[in-house]
Amino acid sequence: MSAPSTSQQEKMVTGFWPWFLQRVSGFLLIFLVGVHIWMTHFSGLGDVVRGHQEELVLFEIVKQRLAQGLFIFIDFSLLALVLYHGLNGMRNILLEWGPAARHAAGMTTGLWLLGVVTFIYGAWALLAFIL
Amino acid sequence: MAFSFRYLSLHPGNFQDRYSGTRSGWWAWFLQRLTGVALVGYLFLHIAVISTARAGADTFDAVLIFLQKPFFVVLDLFLIAAVLYHALNGVRVLLFDAGIAIRQQALMFWICMLLTAAITGVAGYFSLPLIFRE
Repeated sequence: MSAPSTSQQEKMVTGFWPWFLQRVSGFLLIFLVGVHIWMTHFSGLGDVVRGHQEELVLFEIVKQRLAQGLFIFIDFSLLALVLYHGLNGMRNILLEWGPAARHAAGMTTGLWLLGVVTFIYGAWALLAFIL
Repeated sequence: MAFSFRYLSLHPGNFQDRYSGTRSGWWAWFLQRLTGVALVGYLFLHIAVISTARAGADTFDAVLIFLQKPFFVVLDLFLIAAVLYHALNGVRVLLFDAGIAIRQQALMFWICMLLTAAITGVAGYFSLPLIFRE
């Protein structure tokens, strides 16, 4: 079986909704990942370089950021969307491989399970800074 | 892993692009998958690292101070490059889906590569004080 060469073929292999939601989640992630990397890596850079702050990321710094509702919303959205996008991408790759494609339904269920469990674990980790 | 080589060579983009006469379409597709798989691997590691916060602020800080040593700052630049390429090529794919710039796909690939290199370079420049600090 050859890999899909166009979006039309890709849609037929993966199904319309996974194809469509991969685009939507990818588009949203450009902004969410952008803000995430900017806030964690670059917004505090000046303070670290000038010695006002020991490191870019420390417990107290994350805690202060997550005291703002906007960042709680951003981080939980990011966690959910990045898991969906990443695992859906893995599904796209696996579906082109015969042995996995023959068990597509089971594989999809397994990936959903992995995603939900990882989301709960990640949310539990984030709540350490919030509650 | 025999399947994967067969699979890679079967991807139509491994042959010359219809418009550009190059194989940039195959490379764009291959790099999108390579960075995608790498980012999924990183994602699970990242969640595991952040979850050390559950062991207390001191544990979290000890882990994070270690992971902000110069070696990891350099690794972060590879991460930024992977994210940038994946996002930019993702936009390239979205444009093709909308029927835009399909004939310029090779040019668009090189624009993605150029922007990835340029923005990673800027990020690297600003990270220099973290890489070369005492």
